Amino acid sequence: MNMKWLEQWFEKIEPKGKWAWLGSTYEAFHTFAFTPKTVTRSGSHIRDAVDMKRSIIIVVIALLPALLFGMWNIGYQTNLAAGTDWGFWHCFWFGLLRMLPMIVVSYVVGLSIEFAFAQVRHHEVNEGFLATGLLIPMIVPVTTPLWQLALAVAFAVIIGKEVFGGSGMNFLNPALVARAFLFFAYPTHMSGDKVWIANDLWGSDAIAGATPMGELAAGMHPSASAIDMLIGTILGSTCETSVIAIALGALLLLFTGIASWRIMLSVFLGGGLMGLLFNAIGYNEYMQLPFYYHFLMGGFAFGAVFMATDPVTAAQTNTGKWIYGLLIGAFAVLLRVCNPAYPEGMMLSILFMNCMAPLIDHCVVAQNIKRRAKRAAIGKEAHNG
Amino acid sequence: MVETIKIKKGLDLPIGGEPLKEVIDARSIERYAVKPTDFVGFTPRLLVAEGDTVCAGQPLVEDKNDTRLRLPSPVGGTVTAIVRGEKRRLLEVVITSRTGSKSSTNQPNLTPDSPCWWMIKERPFGTIANPDHKPKGIFVSMRDTNPLAPDLDFALKGREHEFEAGIKALEAYGTVHCVKAQGPHPAGNIGTIVAALDPINKGECVWSVGAQDVANIGRWCLTGEYRPERVISVGGPAAKAPKHYRVLCGANVQRISDVQLMDTSYPNMTGSTTTSSTRIISGSPLSGTTIKADGFLGMYDQQLTFIEEGDQYDFMGWLMPGLKKFSFSKTFLSGLMLPFKAMEPLMPVKPSFSFNTNMHGSVRPFLFTGQFERVFPFDIYPLQLIKACIVGDVELQEKLGIYEVEPEDFALCEFIDPSKTEIQTIIREALEVLRKEAMA
Repeated sequence: MNMKWLEQWFEKIEPKGKWAWLGSTYEAFHTFAFTPKTVTRSGSHIRDAVDMKRSIIIVVIALLPALLFGMWNIGYQTNLAAGTDWGFWHCFWFGLLRMLPMIVVSYVVGLSIEFAFAQVRHHEVNEGFLATGLLIPMIVPVTTPLWQLALAVAFAVIIGKEVFGGSGMNFLNPALVARAFLFFAYPTHMSGDKVWIANDLWGSDAIAGATPMGELAAGMHPSASAIDMLIGTILGSTCETSVIAIALGALLLLFTGIASWRIMLSVFLGGGLMGLLFNAIGYNEYMQLPFYYHFLMGGFAFGAVFMATDPVTAAQTNTGKWIYGLLIGAFAVLLRVCNPAYPEGMMLSILFMNCMAPLIDHCVVAQNIKRRAKRAAIGKEAHNG
Repeated sequence: MVETIKIKKGLDLPIGGEPLKEVIDARSIERYAVKPTDFVGFTPRLLVAEGDTVCAGQPLVEDKNDTRLRLPSPVGGTVTAIVRGEKRRLLEVVITSRTGSKSSTNQPNLTPDSPCWWMIKERPFGTIANPDHKPKGIFVSMRDTNPLAPDLDFALKGREHEFEAGIKALEAYGTVHCVKAQGPHPAGNIGTIVAALDPINKGECVWSVGAQDVANIGRWCLTGEYRPERVISVGGPAAKAPKHYRVLCGANVQRISDVQLMDTSYPNMTGSTTTSSTRIISGSPLSGTTIKADGFLGMYDQQLTFIEEGDQYDFMGWLMPGLKKFSFSKTFLSGLMLPFKAMEPLMPVKPSFSFNTNMHGSVRPFLFTGQFERVFPFDIYPLQLIKACIVGDVELQEKLGIYEVEPEDFALCEFIDPSKTEIQTIIREALEVLRKEAMA
């Protein structure tokens, strides 16, 4: 494909003089179209083909199975509740029309803020939000009003990320910051029985329907079967219900090495162990629930694959990643079972461990420092002796 | 006598342009240069002037801080140029060799006065060995694992007795470890070997000598002749005829690059070269120095690499499948072919990629973690150490093991880094701060 004309066009419109302040915006679009022609100066003369854009786009691609399934499921659930007889494409089209405005709002609000911050700081626009901006609409109830979503995105980008210096400097997962903002600011829109099913007609009464975890918190056994939960034909946040779709994304993330297998595995291990522990206690319905139900319900799988593995906010050392993941899984199940006020423990558990990750790393690195100091002491002794 | 270590972490780059096992004698090259910039922490004072006649082994420059450290002329001849850069910084002392000139043959043993002393390097910091220091070991790597590096067994063929004499001479200064590392790059780096056998603690030092330089020291001790000779590998994706060359240290590369850059599509255009789009690197593509087509080999380098300049845009590079792009992460389609290491013997041709010098992306903050560890065989947390170097926290650097590393040990980290950070520069600058503090 000969793209010379586009190269020349970009070179022609490069902002200069009084427009030079638009550099960050220009750079963002230019590098979107072309990987820059910058060459190495020193050190390693050759470089790996991977860059941040490529890495982030892999995350976005990994999200697609869950996103597409979620779109279909939105329509399917409305269809079920209304007792109509929609076909596959009708369900999908219905869901697509509900998801698209949320995705557009998320990207427009988030990217505008990102561009503005980059412009003011004369930084390059970081591509991290391409993943975050898609994640946010995927983890909220389908009935979330767009203005609330816009507020949450703005809060997440500004308070969750930019005040610390932008992508790579934040300590909380921005997508979960948005989710937590909604959860605490508009609790009635985020949980309960009335938020999970999209209306067919704008503005009509909400349709009631409980998620499996909602039912459990109310002391009932979930009405959906484990197979339904695995496939994802249940109520929940827009795109987090299908464990199979999430697993497809997980496979891509693990194969490409973008996400840490240590974190993913240990989150499930931690959750499973905690589930088994509760099984052994067996005090109530929720505790007796087979441990693998926790993986299938709510945001556990989605959180483990796409949220806990966010490398910026996770522990950075390999040992630390095991501890971090185990505790996320364990706390998520603990919160679910022991605190019915928060039906979904995954979000809070990950945010809590985001805060703890630097501490975990500090302790792991301290071990390395201690080992080195010990070795030096032995070396000195041998030298003197 | 040769010890072995086994390394698992690392990466062998599938880079094209592997040199044939064939040696061309290029010892008749006429121009040579001693470049003080090849030596870390060396503050040069000139001992000769333009037009002076020098013999092989005669010192041309000395270190202002320690006048025992001197850089000798690799050949006998005339000083034809003294090249200075910005702020009159001494860059090159150029010698044109004259056949039949004798080398000085007074004291054929290895002392700080001998012309061979610069071949001994000291860690930490990578300076010329300080004669006052007592190293806890002298390390010789018997395998260069850098991409396209020469096979040292092949390079040392016929010089075994000189090599042994060199080892004997070095033993006067400490225990000599000749180590043949197994495993992917950076297994053969001195840093990796020392870390595996006896890591450097604060206040300690080790020395290292290149295997071919051991033979050069041996020759000096046996015959009193200073002739710093090396078999270098000449290769890379842009080299037209990758081969080995036998040269003297600091040789002018014009004659080699003429052959390697010859535009073969015009067979009648003799001597015309296409240099504008090719980068010539003295040393490994991972940590060497860019030189001009008529530049000089670095004093410690044993390879010359030719790589296409990648100064072209890549349309939607972040989205394209990328069958022809190499990535350690498997984010490109090319990654589908590489995981089957076990299948490699079955493949008719080893997969190789024509790397160029493009950055393949823009500079970003560190986002991803856990990648460096896969190519960094040290008991060190690489990301944490790099960050400590960026913020200039000397105390933390020491705690995290800065004395155990040299920039080249981070070459692969720099290569695979999706954030495109210049890690080797960061490590060098941090080490320079520490070195100056240690001197003061």
